[in-house]
Amino acid sequence: MADPNTAATANRRRHVFDSSFYPVVALVFILIACVELCDASTVVDVYRLIQYDISGAPFGSRASSLNHHAGSSFSAPGSDLSRTVAILSLRELNETFIREYIDQGKPLGGLLLLLPQVFRSDNSQTVVDDSEYTDMKKQLTDLEQRLIHSTIQYPVYFAFEDEDLAKVLADIQRNDAAGQPATATTGGYKFIVTSTAPKKLASPTMTNIQGWLPGLKADGDSNQLPTIAIVASYDTFGAAPGLSVGSDSNGSGVVALLEIARLFSVLYSNPNTRGRYNLLFGLTSGGPYNYNGTQKWLRSFDQRLRESIDYAICLNSLSSGDNGLWLHVSKPPENAYVKQIFEGLSNVAEELGLKVGLKHKKINVSNSRVAWEHEQFSRLRVTAATLSGLSVAPNLLENTGGIADKREFVNEAAIVRSVKLVAESLARHIYGQEGKNINIFADNSSLAVSPSYIGSWLDLLSRTPRVAPFLSKDDAFIMALKKELADHVVEVNLQHDVIDGMFTFYDSTVGTLQIYQVASVTFDLLLLLVLGSYLITLFSFLVISTRGVDDLISLFRRPPSRKAKAA
Amino acid sequence: MFHFFNCAILTFGPHAVYYSATPLSEYDTLGTSVKTAVVYLVTALVKLVCLATFLKVSESDIFDPSQELLKALIGFIDVAGLYFALTQLTHRNISQNHKFQAVGLGWAFADSVLHRLAPLWVGARGLEFTWDYVLQGLEANANLMLSLSLAALGSLMWLRKNKPKTLIPIIYACAGFVATMPSITSYLRWGVGWRLPEVVGFQLFTSLTMALVSWQLFSACQKPSA
Repeated sequence: MADPNTAATANRRRHVFDSSFYPVVALVFILIACVELCDASTVVDVYRLIQYDISGAPFGSRASSLNHHAGSSFSAPGSDLSRTVAILSLRELNETFIREYIDQGKPLGGLLLLLPQVFRSDNSQTVVDDSEYTDMKKQLTDLEQRLIHSTIQYPVYFAFEDEDLAKVLADIQRNDAAGQPATATTGGYKFIVTSTAPKKLASPTMTNIQGWLPGLKADGDSNQLPTIAIVASYDTFGAAPGLSVGSDSNGSGVVALLEIARLFSVLYSNPNTRGRYNLLFGLTSGGPYNYNGTQKWLRSFDQRLRESIDYAICLNSLSSGDNGLWLHVSKPPENAYVKQIFEGLSNVAEELGLKVGLKHKKINVSNSRVAWEHEQFSRLRVTAATLSGLSVAPNLLENTGGIADKREFVNEAAIVRSVKLVAESLARHIYGQEGKNINIFADNSSLAVSPSYIGSWLDLLSRTPRVAPFLSKDDAFIMALKKELADHVVEVNLQHDVIDGMFTFYDSTVGTLQIYQVASVTFDLLLLLVLGSYLITLFSFLVISTRGVDDLISLFRRPPSRKAKAA
Repeated sequence: MFHFFNCAILTFGPHAVYYSATPLSEYDTLGTSVKTAVVYLVTALVKLVCLATFLKVSESDIFDPSQELLKALIGFIDVAGLYFALTQLTHRNISQNHKFQAVGLGWAFADSVLHRLAPLWVGARGLEFTWDYVLQGLEANANLMLSLSLAALGSLMWLRKNKPKTLIPIIYACAGFVATMPSITSYLRWGVGWRLPEVVGFQLFTSLTMALVSWQLFSACQKPSA
C-alpha cells in the first residue's frame, strides 16, 4: 500500500498538470476543426438550371444550395417532399411529376435530373440513328422548354448518369420501395451542394465579331462597292448554361460562315478572281435575346455602310432540315432582291438535289419579339433573309442550342450541302453567272467544300458552352473565333456591348454535388447505448477480477467517504 | 460528430476504464504509463526509419513473402522497446504485478493515439457513415488486450527469476506468438484477402484467448513465489 500522503501530493501535481494541459489540447482541437475536409463517398459535377429575369419577372431555378436526404419515389399522394431531394433519371420522368412539381410548383427540397451519357458534350460514343435517342432528345427538349419558362423555388441540377450515381440511385430506389424513405431518423443518402445565394451578373456583355473581304474596284471608279453580308449568331441559351453547346443552333451556322469565309478568301486572294462585291462576315452574339447583338451591331454602322449593303444572308440551324431548307424573308416575295436570292439558291439547290422553300413573315414593329436574325436587318431597311432548317419561327428562347442540341444529332452532310448551296449561289451572283450551270466549288477541286474543316470546327463548337452572359469579353472561345476569321478575312474586329437590360442573369451555374451515406440519429443513439453498456460491463468485470465483488459494491458508496478523506 | 464521439469512446474508452477499474489508479501509475508511451513513440520512430531503410517501396498491394518477413523482423523492435520499458525504466516502487499492467496500458494507448486518432478525426467526423471506424475501435480493444498480455509475458520472462521450469517454453512460445500477431493479421489481410470485419473478428478472438492464457500463466507463476 502506498503512503496516503504521497498519493495526495501526486494527485495535486496531476491537477496542476491537467489545468495547464487542457487549454492547449482545446486549442489544438479548435485549430484542427477549422480545416474542413471533403470526404464524401461520391462527388459529382452538377449543372444548375439557369436563373434569369425577363423585365423583372423571375424564371428558372431560384435557389442553389442543397442539403437534404434523397428520395426517388413519389407515388404516395400527399406526402411532404419539401425536405427531400428528388433524384430522377430522364427515362423515368413522367408527366404527372412534371405537371405537379414543375408546372404547379409543389414544394420540393431539390431536384437532381440524371441525363444519359449521350448528352455529354465530351462524350465519345456516336449513336445517331437510334430512335430511342431521338425520342429522348424530343423529351429533353420539351422538358427544357418547360423548365426555362417556369419559376421554380427549389434548386434544380443536372448531372450525367455514371456508375456511381447509378449505384446510389438503385440504393435509393430499393429503400423507397421497401417503404423506408430517407429521413433524419432512418438515415440514407444525403445530397449536399454548398453554394452561396446566386447573385445577379452585373452588366453582362456580348461580343460581336466582324471581318471583311474587300472587293476589287475598277480603275477610276469612285463609287463604293456594294456589300453582301453573311451573318450567323454564335451564342446559345439553354436550361443549363454549362451544357448549352448548341451544335445545330447555331453551331452549324457558325461553321458554315467560317467555311464560306475560307472559300471566298481563296477566290479573293487572286486579283483575277476577286469579285466586285465587298463581303462582310458577322458573328453576332445575343441571338437568343431577340438578336440583341445583331441589333447593336447594325446600329453601330454608319449610314453609308448600311446603304451599301445589297443584302444579308443569315445562317441558322442548317442541319435541322431533313427535307430541305427554308428561306425566311420579311419583305414580300415579289421584292427584287428577295426574288434574286431565292432564285439563285433554288437553282443551285436543284442541281444539288436539295429543296429550298420560301417563307414570308411580316414584321410587327410594335412587337418586341424578333424571331429571325434577318428581321433586325429589315427593321433598319436592309434587305435580308435567313436560311434555316427550321420551317416555323421559334418562340422566345426556343431552338437556341440547349441541352439536347448535341453533336451526335447533327447531320454533318447537311451542313456541307448547305455551305455548298450558299457559296455557289453567292459566287454565281458575284461573278454574274446566274442561271448558268457552272460549278465553282466543285468536289475534288482546290475550291471544294472541306468536310474535315467543318467537322473539326463543329467538334470545337460542340464542346464549348456559349451562353453570352457567361462568356467574358476576352474568352478563349471568342479569341479562337476571331483568330480563325482573321486567317481568312481582313479588318477583323470585336465589338463589345451590354445585353438588353430586359434580361437579368444569375451566377452559380455549376456546382459540386457531394453524396454522403449517413446513419440515422437512432442508430447513433443505439450505438452509444451498446458502447456504454460494454464499458460498464468491462469496468465491473475488471473490478471484480482484480479486487473482488465487495470492492465493486463499495465503489458506489465511496464518493462521500473519499471527500471526507480529501478534507 | 456524434459518430466520431461514439467511435472515440470505443477506441479510447477501454483504456480509461482499465486504468480506473484496476488497482492501477490507486497506486497512481500514470507516470509509468506516460513514460511507456514515450518509449513507444521512440520505438515507432526507430521502426519507421528501419522500414524506410530496408523495405522496397511496392507500388501494388501484392503480398510479398520476403518483404513481409523483413517487416515481421522489424516488428520485433516493438519487443525490444517493451523490454526497455519493463526493465530499464525506473519506476517508483510498484509491484511487478502493476508495473506490467501500467506498461501494457501506456503502450496500447500510445499505439491507439498514434494510429487511430488521426483517421478517426478525419474520417468519422464527416457526414459519411461507414462501419470502418467502429471496426477500428474494436481493433483498438484487441490491441489493448494483446499489449497487456505481451507485457505480462515479458515481465514473466525478464523480471521474474523463480519461474516453474515447465512453464518456460510455453511462456516463450506465447510471447513469440503475440509478438508476431501484427504480421499474422497483415498476412490475413493482404495475403489471404480477408475483409476487415473478418480480420477484426479474428484479432478479437485471438487476443481474448492470449489474454486468458497469459493471465493463467501469470497466476501460475505467482503461486510458488507467494
